[in-house]
Amino acid sequence: MTYRTGPDRDRCPEDVDLGRVWLTVAAEVWRRRPGLVERLAALALRSPGLARALVTTSSLLPGWLMASAIVLAVGMFATLGTGTPYVALFAPAVAAAGIAYAYGPGVDPAWELSQSMAVSDRMVLLVRVLVVFALNAVLGLAASAASGTAAAVTFGWLVPMTAVSALALAAATVTRSANAGVAVGLAAWVITVLSVYSGSGHVATAVVSSTLILPYLAAAVAGGTIAWFATRIPKGTS
Amino acid sequence: MDDDKLITAMAAGDDSALRELFARHAPWLAARLRAILPAAEVEDVLQESFLAVWRGARGYRPQGSPRGWLWVITRRQAALWLRRRGPAELPLAALDALDSRAGLDAGDPAEAAVFRAELAAAVRALGPAGSVTQEVWRLMYVEDRTVTEVARLMGVPEGTVKSRAHRVRRLMRAVLRQPVRDGG
Amino acid sequence: MNVDISEVTRRFGRAQAVAGVSLETGPGVFGLLGPNGAGKTTLLRMLATVIPPSSGQVRLLGRDPGGHGPRREIRRRLGYLPQNLGYYPGFTVAEFVEYFALLKEMPPRQVPQAVATAIERVDLGGRARAKLRTLSGGMLRRAGIAQAIVNEPELLLLDEPTAGLDPEQRVAFRALLRDLAERATVIVSTHLVEDVGAACSQVGVMDAGKIVFQGTPDELIACGEGTSAVGDAPLERGYSAVLVSARTAALVA
Repeated sequence: MTYRTGPDRDRCPEDVDLGRVWLTVAAEVWRRRPGLVERLAALALRSPGLARALVTTSSLLPGWLMASAIVLAVGMFATLGTGTPYVALFAPAVAAAGIAYAYGPGVDPAWELSQSMAVSDRMVLLVRVLVVFALNAVLGLAASAASGTAAAVTFGWLVPMTAVSALALAAATVTRSANAGVAVGLAAWVITVLSVYSGSGHVATAVVSSTLILPYLAAAVAGGTIAWFATRIPKGTS
Repeated sequence: MDDDKLITAMAAGDDSALRELFARHAPWLAARLRAILPAAEVEDVLQESFLAVWRGARGYRPQGSPRGWLWVITRRQAALWLRRRGPAELPLAALDALDSRAGLDAGDPAEAAVFRAELAAAVRALGPAGSVTQEVWRLMYVEDRTVTEVARLMGVPEGTVKSRAHRVRRLMRAVLRQPVRDGG
Repeated sequence: MNVDISEVTRRFGRAQAVAGVSLETGPGVFGLLGPNGAGKTTLLRMLATVIPPSSGQVRLLGRDPGGHGPRREIRRRLGYLPQNLGYYPGFTVAEFVEYFALLKEMPPRQVPQAVATAIERVDLGGRARAKLRTLSGGMLRRAGIAQAIVNEPELLLLDEPTAGLDPEQRVAFRALLRDLAERATVIVSTHLVEDVGAACSQVGVMDAGKIVFQGTPDELIACGEGTSAVGDAPLERGYSAVLVSARTAALVA
């Protein structure tokens, strides 16, 4: 910053450090005041950095949450209207998309830099994934309960949701692309629902059949393990 | 961009306007303050002043003088600072003397009026016009004379001058500690 | 010694990007020169603890980055500017710098002052609250430098920091480097030889994954004297001479 000089009596005294003064003023004027959610998160996570990373997650932004809620609300009304448990069918897909978009390179342009941070990118991913999952589960359960479906269906989709989300995350971390994650997650879910439907004749079988629970859990574990390994050693280029 | 426009921009939230104002005006404000305060305190007062400038930009009337407006804010911050430090050392009065020497007209007449009213009330509390305490006040704190000079002018020993000055300070302190009432 | 690495290699599949580098350096500016593909970026990424070495010993700021705890400690004291830094377009300069200050686990109370200081040091004070998407390439680069220096790092790694900066800004940048190097180790990787000469106390030239020269800028200049090496300036000639002799030696070996 260049300071104006004028007549001697208007010149800054030598022992006054205007630079220091400006920096203190600027610090106050430029500072960002975290919102309530972020402050609570910082307390709960014991890390202001992690809290900030969490609130900047694409799939936790108000717009995204609103969109998810709308999709589930549509499903809820459709269920009320037709009796087919659409919420149970939509929820895993919505969650998978949210989870894939909690991830790095596809949506995080400064991804390389975030890999040199004290708050590790893996920790950030873990926290984001858990929160996105939990929020989607809550939204889904609310929509499900409001659509008056049987308890088995209301809770039944939580397991396939976990499986599909894990696969989406695995794909995103391996390909380093959130879009690929969404694609894989959605594809896996659609294929599952359709193939079970063609076998049983009921669209809801994919969520209520107890024989599918083990395969779902296996897929969830596999997806999670792949994601774990994919985030372990960053790939280099040159 | 002239100062008026900068202040208007600042009122609209443009922090780079504040930065420019700081670059232009902080040096002479620092020089003024340095006449009555040590360097470290000049820095602290300047800091508070520019934060007050930032927050108070909306209160600026474009037909006033930007320099005057900035000085009124800075002087108020200096006064608050001095008051917070405990016994008002009465460079407060020196601020006023500085003012009249420079022949400033304040940017916001209301602000200046409030400040002057404060000081006038304090001076009135010293006693009736023409009283000894008023005289000591005028000679020592407005005209900035030394104890020796005042003793000579008033025809009293230096010790007497000192104890009268002490009384002046005590009275001023008592009044300036009270909150300023609006519409006064 | 802030950086102490020995016989470090890094392999990607069958390609060896870094083929045995040893380096010891303390406070000061170390210039890392070399053509594209020489392995400079890979070396810097290893020093930034972004990727581990395939083999060799690494000690940064007196710690071994292999362990989770020490790595975290190193990262708190590290500043890194990658060659390709993405930006969050909706963030302002101040938000961007603050984001990484928080991720470097700076105590929150110190953050606003540190952010203001970093922004003013790279001369972006007039743009602190401007959105990143409104900035030019050179300004974005300076914002990148600001996030690297916000935590007053003891080890500062800059990969092509002057890309997009005009000559006047380059001069200011060199002054900033000298200022930072009083307490920290600054490693600047660049293919612009002239950026290195004025500011660096030590210079290294990398080629094909190895350091083929290490010494002072004057010593590099001396390498070029009396040869028919190409270059407009003495430093450039020294640089060319070193590369030529290294490649000749590699052919013969």
